[in-house]
This record gives sequence, structure tokens and C-alpha cells, in this order.
Amino acid sequence: MTADDLPSIPRRRFLWEMGGGFAGLALASLLEQEGFGAASAAAPSTTPKPPQLPKRAKSCIFLFMFGGPSQLDLFDYKPELQRRDGQTIQNEFRRNTKTKAVLQASRRQFRQHGRSGLWCSDAFPHIAQHMDKLAVIKSLYSDSFAHGSAVLQMNSGRILQGHPSIGAWMSYGLGTLNQSLPAYVVMLDPRGGPTTGAPNWSSGYMPAVHQGTVLRTTGEPILNLRPPGGKSPAMQRREIDFINQLNATHQAKHPGFSELQARISSYELAFRLQSTAPEALDLKQEDAATLDMYGIHEPKPDWHPFAQGPAPFGRQCLIARRLVERGVRFVQLYSGGGGAGGQNTWDGHHGIEENLKIHCPEVDRPIAALLTDLERRGLLDETLVVWGGEFGRMPVSETFNTGGKSGGRDHNPKGFTYWMAGAGVKAGTSYGETDELGEGAAVNRHHLRDLHATILHLMGLNPQHLTYFFGGLNNRLTGVVEPEVIRGVVA
Amino acid sequence: MFAVSRIIVFARFLCVAFCLVKCWGICSVASEAIVLSASPPPLRSGEFQLSDTDRSWWAFQPIRSAAPPTLRKKTPTPQPIDAFTRSALEAQGLSHNLPATRRQQIRRAYFDVIGLPPSREVVVAFEQDRSPLAWEHVVDSLLGSPHYGERWGRHWLDLVRFAESNGYERDGAKPYAWRYRDYVIRSLNADKPYDEFIREQIAGDEMAEDLLKQGRTSDAAWKEALIATGVYRLHVWDDEPDNTLAAEYDDLDDVLVTTSTAFLGVTLGCARCHDHKYDPFSQSDYYSFLSFFRNIEPYGQHHTGGGGRGTGGITKPLALPSEIVRWDQEKAARVRDLEKQMTSSTPQGKKALEEALQKAKDTPPPYDVALTVSESGGVVKPTHVLIRGRFDSPGQQVHPAFPVIFRHEPSSMSSQPAVTLSSGRRRQLAEWIASPSNPLTARVIANRVWQHYFGVGLVRTPDDFGRTGEAPTHPQLLDYLASRLVLQGWRLKALHREILLSETYRMSTDVRAGKALQRDEGNQWLWRQNLRRVESEVIRDSFLAISGQLNTKAGGPSVFPSLPKEVHGTQDSVGKGWGESSESEQNRRSVYLFVKRALKLPLLEAFDFANCTSPTGMRSITTIAPQALMALNDEFSQQQATAFAHRVQRQGGTQPTDWIRHAFGLSLQRSPTATESRQSLGFLSDQTNRARAAGQQDPEFVALRSFCLSLLNLNETIYAD
Repeated sequence: MTADDLPSIPRRRFLWEMGGGFAGLALASLLEQEGFGAASAAAPSTTPKPPQLPKRAKSCIFLFMFGGPSQLDLFDYKPELQRRDGQTIQNEFRRNTKTKAVLQASRRQFRQHGRSGLWCSDAFPHIAQHMDKLAVIKSLYSDSFAHGSAVLQMNSGRILQGHPSIGAWMSYGLGTLNQSLPAYVVMLDPRGGPTTGAPNWSSGYMPAVHQGTVLRTTGEPILNLRPPGGKSPAMQRREIDFINQLNATHQAKHPGFSELQARISSYELAFRLQSTAPEALDLKQEDAATLDMYGIHEPKPDWHPFAQGPAPFGRQCLIARRLVERGVRFVQLYSGGGGAGGQNTWDGHHGIEENLKIHCPEVDRPIAALLTDLERRGLLDETLVVWGGEFGRMPVSETFNTGGKSGGRDHNPKGFTYWMAGAGVKAGTSYGETDELGEGAAVNRHHLRDLHATILHLMGLNPQHLTYFFGGLNNRLTGVVEPEVIRGVVA
Repeated sequence: MFAVSRIIVFARFLCVAFCLVKCWGICSVASEAIVLSASPPPLRSGEFQLSDTDRSWWAFQPIRSAAPPTLRKKTPTPQPIDAFTRSALEAQGLSHNLPATRRQQIRRAYFDVIGLPPSREVVVAFEQDRSPLAWEHVVDSLLGSPHYGERWGRHWLDLVRFAESNGYERDGAKPYAWRYRDYVIRSLNADKPYDEFIREQIAGDEMAEDLLKQGRTSDAAWKEALIATGVYRLHVWDDEPDNTLAAEYDDLDDVLVTTSTAFLGVTLGCARCHDHKYDPFSQSDYYSFLSFFRNIEPYGQHHTGGGGRGTGGITKPLALPSEIVRWDQEKAARVRDLEKQMTSSTPQGKKALEEALQKAKDTPPPYDVALTVSESGGVVKPTHVLIRGRFDSPGQQVHPAFPVIFRHEPSSMSSQPAVTLSSGRRRQLAEWIASPSNPLTARVIANRVWQHYFGVGLVRTPDDFGRTGEAPTHPQLLDYLASRLVLQGWRLKALHREILLSETYRMSTDVRAGKALQRDEGNQWLWRQNLRRVESEVIRDSFLAISGQLNTKAGGPSVFPSLPKEVHGTQDSVGKGWGESSESEQNRRSVYLFVKRALKLPLLEAFDFANCTSPTGMRSITTIAPQALMALNDEFSQQQATAFAHRVQRQGGTQPTDWIRHAFGLSLQRSPTATESRQSLGFLSDQTNRARAAGQQDPEFVALRSFCLSLLNLNETIYAD
């Protein structure tokens, strides 16, 4: 049997969604165990589902560098650009709009690393030590020059708002392995959410069961997790017992309505979450060396008002590891937040050097630590780590947004870099190329949908078979154009 | 073991039953040569051609009103709806449930018609009113309530994916979108004929122009018609798209998809890039339909080179041209006058004058402004079939035309325009959709109304009457309802009334082991009423009603509920596009809360609020743990529990037993049973002791509040049975 022969997720949308779990249905898994496959196949619950393809990754950690990191200063070394620094070229800085612009070489030092000899600049000294684990794709392109639609496309495959995000697709396609935690978790930068906010982790036209849950790394991790003001767990426990008592009487008069039972279960789980969710986030369980490795104790730098050092992202990376250990399917971490256009995100219009100096140290140690930590715990084999932003940046010095001040780089959806590591990834691979100046994808070009297809594939989902019926159409994350799994980065 | 297997049986009945009816080919009532259901629909391929199968698709046949069937079982003059449903049951050899209890019936009707629970007194009065007209009185009073429009208006707002912000990076506010919301509520409350409701939304600007030409300037109708066209401006809008020309087609597509889904229940939008894969809609049909909208002034300005762009003319003053001119002239004169005075003023006087000048410039006009559609007039831009849907690859030019399948012409005529228009295009479209002879319009709305009284429609895919949708379970009943609607002047309230008065609606939800359960677990033959959780707004509004905090003020600009900072923090800028409303404003019905695409109210969203981006004819109903967290711990739930407890203390008497009885009356409209009383007393006593031990002030009240919160969280509180 080939992978394509495996049964697909049923194409028809189910009318009634049943639940009880954090996001799914305890009952459906009961049915599944009892052999009522039809029920579980139809219910879009987050009950764990077998992957469509031979199993690869169990979980995915998506490190989203919001604002658009500069491939030219990090991974995509371009000697020709270095050589032609200062020359004037015609640059298409927005779709079909060109201007004269001055080439700007990277001020970073590039070096090849490890056995694989993959290039990485000195902006990421810690990640550079892990190049042998990465598959770096340098030839991606996407459809929008603007943050709003580009971030949406990276998350949902479409530049139009209203479609399910990739985490929602995974929740829909794979369910969760831990009914006490959401299948799909999002953690935001302390400086704010990304452009467009919550629609980026929305479930679109799918049931809300599949939308991302925002988890906070300080304070209460989940909205309304605990009762406000002085109500002890014992008092809430008693409340739930009382609710259960009365609900039981009501249910006795309505035998046969499993949704009533599901709602009763949901209260039990809600109560349980008050201990399971904080436990997953409890970094006191980690030893000092681990905390140190993630940079969690590093002080906030004072040289720039937006710089925050590695501690916040380090905390998120460590929590991400703890979440995937506990079976969460998809964890998305945002680096950079608040309105685009400033140095609070990777949007380096106003000086790429300053931008790198703010953001690279914030993520470098945490990401390196995450890779080390996953590997030493044997989790890297079952976890897919994805790194990138909504687009890359231009090889020219920007003047469009800066009032003529040089040193920045503008958006570039025509050629940008992502890397992946972990389960199923062909480690130590450099795949694809941009043109000699690093502006547009040139060799082994891949549309962003191919990246999505590759991620789904590595998660054991067939990108063509993972469909959701809505509006008269079998919708796919990758849209109507048939995507191509980027085989060159798959082990 | 017994318990487990029972759960499984019943779970199957709920989980699987709907799955079974979703399967292809289940509908066994295929009659004559009309195709009711195909088993899996064949993919269309090759050159677009209409086949006999296409032409005989059930939903495209004229609506035929059949006389209600005669029942085998002698029943004294059944109502037509009951005759249809019972005849189907007879054919299946199934019997139906008895009526629900009076309390169940009236709670169900209150939730369904006005979205609020009844008061205990209303329930008791109905329980005691043995007049044969008692139920009719309940129904009529509900349909006459202004809350009816608030409840059913929200269903309509789901369909037109109502929101008050644009989405995307800036998520800017849509000016005066609330006037459209109020228009919908007003129209339903006034029982405006549905065909008029259609015409106003699709071509209200053209109607307004006609009314003004006829000199009907004092008539509110032209303003209503203009406000109705706000529906064209509700879609998501990217103010910084990669390409503004491509974005213009995306916006037009959104309008087309919403129009064809909401009014016609077809997935015409699928034919944007190629002919429809299942239904007989060609790509040429899509673009011919799109050309009805081609002359609309685009939402956004055309713009190249990046950065945000401004909107086009998306608002209009609700004023006569003469009023506008007069105001402009007066304002200009005032400004001129002040500017003149400035030139000869002392430095001290100048400051006051500057302020006056600013004020004169800032004074808003004395007339209202509405979010509306408008046409640029003059020469209409041509519409081409776009090859593969790409804006930059125009193919053959098309003209406004209805899909060929509705033209009853040979397919070879498909390239010929059926309607030749130079202007007033949307008026023609409106007339066609609102026509009694349109096979879809009346069926689609009748089905939507039915759906909200039973949880599922007679067609269980309310937004898809095509081949990927479901066939009707009761085709003749559907046609009966559709034709009755038209006959009664498209008055929706008459349709509501007829459904509400039927015995089918009033049946109990009981599931008893037996033949009906075995044979029709999913209740497609309507042997019982469906047990239904109420929607998110009804949950929130019920909490307010039970706590006594509900502010029933109607209409006006939307309300901003207070949100925790964590929720605000999910936007890229805290507080962006959010305002502050007073506490009493925040206690208004949910339909009046601001709908911001980037910041939905967590309480509503958790309970399956509409997605606000695509037309939603049927919401999901999920049961998940975060809902319990919302209902137990959210600030809103806490506030309502506190107010509820105060109310109980104030009105209920002095003893805990009195409180318990009063609280049950307020939340469940019944008295507690002896067991429930005992359990409640035990609970109050336990919680009082706990609160006291924890050193909390007023432990009795803390316990009572906890009790009230628990009642709000009961299944019975938010299920209509």
C-alpha cells in the first residue's frame, strides 16, 4: 500500500460537533476504542487520529520571526552582493513598482559550520553550532509584500483573511495526544501580538475547537483558568460537584443525549486544567543548567528600549519543549510583536544592523538550547522545528519607509529562507538558491504552499488528502494548486 | 456494562446519526423525475454543457405547493405542517412524541423567538391558562416583541458575515456599520416583506434614487434603502494588498459569494477559476453574475507602491442634495467670516477666534451618515471571464446575466446576455432574486427559518442547495412553506407563526427506546423535537436576564465590553480600535456589542460565535473545556453571579430555602425538587463554612453567589428542551 492509498480525512463536514475534552471529545475516543470507527471518523474532534502517512513527527514547534527576518544577513550568504555593495540597481520594492536603489552588503561575517558546511552569519553564534541539524531552504517565495496578508498567508496559506491556520489543520487532521491541553498553542511576544492578531491562529470556517489557544508564560497561562478573587480550589471543586449533582438529575430526565454528558465532562476537565496547565508551564521543575542554557536568567539589556534579551523567548522555547513532551500537536512562538514597521519586530526598515542586534540575541540562545534539549531527550526525532518569518528582506538599502535614511532593508516575498530541524528532516542540507544578489528565488524555487505541504507531510498528513468541506469546496491548507513536497529536505 | 453500552448507543445516535444522514443517497423519497440526491456527485468535466440531470435538479424546479397529505390515522384537521411531517412518519411506520410540557414549550419558544428565557411568572401563567388560545397568545406576544428582531437579526448578520472592522493589519473600523445592524433588526420587527428586504440590500441605492425622483423626500423609506446597502461593505478589506486590482476582484468575489449563499443557497463562488466542479454553473455564469456588481465603487482606492490606502466612497449622507449643499454653504460662510475677523483681531481676540474657527470646521453636519454602496456612474467597466481567476488574464467579455441553468434556454445560448443593462444592474438582480418564480429564494429562507426552530433545516446544508449539499428530508413541506411565504406577501412572521403553532414544533424531545429511536436515531423524520444548546449570545443575554442586569435599550452605536488586558494583548497594539462603554451599556444584548475582527469577545467566541468572515448559515455547536472556564471564571460570569445573588437576597426572602426557591425560579423558571432543595442547602452550608474558614467577609453572601454561579452553569439553563 502506498502512502496515497491510506484513507483520507472524510471530506464531508460533520454537522454536529461534540466535545468534552479541552478541545475534543472523550466520548469519541471511547467509541473509537469500542470500534465505532464511523463516529470518530466523522466527528471533527481533536481525538488523536492516526496519521495518513507513515508516522514522522508527533509535534511541531513553529518559531515565527514576525516582521520578516533578513535572509541576507543570517543564512543566505551572497558573495556577489558583498562585492557590489553600493551599486545602484532597479529594485521592485512593491509588486510591479520599481525604483532605483543601492545595493547593501551584509555587515555580518559569514562562515561555514559543522560537517555539513552550511553557512550561517555571526548574528547567530549559537544556532551556528547546530547547522548539521538543519535543512535550510533558501528559495521560497510567496504572494504579498505587505505584513497583513503575508503573515496570514504564512499561517493559513491564503493572503485573504478567514481561512484556518496551519495549527488548526493539524488539530483537525491529527487531534491532540493530551486531552488536558489544547492541541494548538500560541505564545506571543511580550511586545504585542502580530499584525492582524487573532485571525492568525483562527480556525476559520472550521469549528472553534481547532483554533489556537494563546498561552501566557507569566501569570495565568490560560484565560479564566482560575476563579477570580479568593475562591479556593476547594470551593470551586464544591461548585463543580454541585453542578454535577443537578446536571445528573437533569440528564436522568433526558437519557440518551450524550452532549449533556459531554458538557458534564467538560467541567471536570476544566477543573483538572487548573493543575495540568500550570504544571506544563512550571519551570521550577527544570534544573538550573537548563534554565541557564535557554538564557532565562539573562537581564533585559538597557541599550535599546525594545531590546529584551533572551529571557522571554527562552522561557517560551522551554515551555514549548514541555508542551510537546505532553503531547501538544502544534506550538507556535512569535518573536517580535506590536505594530509592524518598528524595531519591536524583525521589520528592519530603520536599520538592519540595529534590528539584528536587538532580535538575534533574543532568539539565538533559546533556539540553540531548544535543539540541544530536544535532542538530548530523544524528542528531536518526533518533533519538527520550523523557523522563519512572513517574508525575507531586500538586498538594497531601503529608502521607501525611512525618509531617505539608509541602512534598512525592505520586505521581500520573492526570495526568503526557512529552516527545519527534527523529525523526518534531512539534516545538514542547504536547499535551493536565490539569485546572485539574494533577491529572488532562482534555483529549486518553491512557493510557500510547498513549505506547508512539506510540514504536513513531515507530520504524517497528505497535503492533498487533508481537506475540509466548506462553501461547496474541499478546501486545503495549500489551496487549489497542487503543492509539491520539498523532497530535498525530507530524509 | 449496561450503562456503558447505553452511552454508546445513545452517543451513536447523536454522533453517528447526523453522519448517516450526511451520507450520499440516504433520501429515499425521490419522486417523479426530479433528482433528489445523487450518490457521490459526479465531477463535471469537459466543455460546460447543461444536461437533463442538471435541469432536473430538485432545487432548480419551480416551487410547487402541494395540498397537505391526508393521514391514515384519523386526526381532526391537522395543521398542514403536521400533516406533512406525520405523513412522512406514517410512511416510515414511526410514531411521534407527545407535546412537551408547557414549561418546556414556552422556554423553547422564548429562546427561539426572542433569545431570552421567560420569567417564572410568564411560565406559571401559561401553565395555568387552559384556554385553547393560550399558546397562540404566547406566540403572538413573542413575535410582537422588539426582541424578536434582535434575535433573528443576528441570524441574518451571521449570513452576511457582519463585522464592524476590516480585518488585516490595521483592522480599521467600518464607519456606521451599526446602522445596517439596526436596519436588519428594524426590518424584521416591522415584518418587512422578505422580497423588499432583498431589494433594499441589493439595490437600495437605486431604489432611493427612484423614491427621491418621485418626490418622496419625507419618506423614511429612501434612507432605509440606502442604509440597507451597507451589506456591500461588510467584507474583510485589506488596505495594503499586494495588488489593489487583484484585491478589487477579491472584494467583488466576497460580495458575490455572500449574495449567492445568503439569498440563493448556492456555491456559485466555486466557479471563479473554472466551471463549478459539481453544480451547473460555468465560469461564464460566475463572471456574468459578477458584472451586476462591476460598477460598484470599490471599497479601497486604487494604489500602487505599498503602504496603506484610503477607502473609496463607502459612506453617504442620509440627506437630500439640497440639505447637503445648504450645510456646506453655511459652514463655508461661517469659516470665511471667522477667518475675516481674524485678520483684524487683537492677539487676545485671535485665540478665541482660532478656537471658534476650529469648532466651525469640526462641527458635524446636522444629518446622519451611513455605510453604503454607490456606483461611480457613467461608463460601466467591462467584465471579462478571468482565465484561471487571474485578474490579469481577461478572456471573453460577459454581460450581466443570471446563471444559464435558470434561463431555461439551450446551453448554446449561454454566451448571449439574457439581460442587457447599461445601468440599474443591481436592481435587475434584486428583482430576479426577489421574484416569486425564483426557485431558490423562498425555499432557502423558509429552510433557514425552519432550521432555527429545529436545530437543523429540512435541507440540512442551509447554504448549499446544490449537489454537494443535502436533499430535503421533506421536499413537499419545504415547498409548502416556501409557497405559503410568497402567498402571504413574503411576511416572515406568518411563517414563524405557522411553525410555532404546529404540533411538530411543540413535541417533546424525549428519546425513548423504541422503534423510532432504532429506525431514525438522527430524527430526520421529525418524530421528536431536538434538544438544543442555545447560541453564545443567548447564553450571555440569559445570564444578564437572570441576574436582572439586562439593559434592553435598542439600537445605536455598538458597545465595547471591558476586556482583560491579556485579551487586548493579542492585538499588535493594546486597545487598538476598542472603546469604553459604561457598565449599563455593557449590559445590553449581545447583538449590540462591537464586532471587531481582530478581537472577538472570548465568552462569545468560546461558545461558537459566527466566524464573521464567511457567510455562516449554521454555526458549529461544540462542547469544550474552555467554555466551562468562561462560564465559571470569566469576569462577566462573576458579575452576573454577584448581581443574581443580590437580586435573590433582595427579592427572595430571608431564609436560605426562600433564596433557593427564588433563584431556581429566576434561572430555570421552576421550583426546586425536594432533593434539589436539600442539595442546595447542603451546598450553601458547605460554601458558607469554607468562606468563613478562609476569612472571607460576609460568608453567607459568598456562598449564595457561588450557588447562583452554579445555577448559571447548569445544562438546563442553556439547553432548550
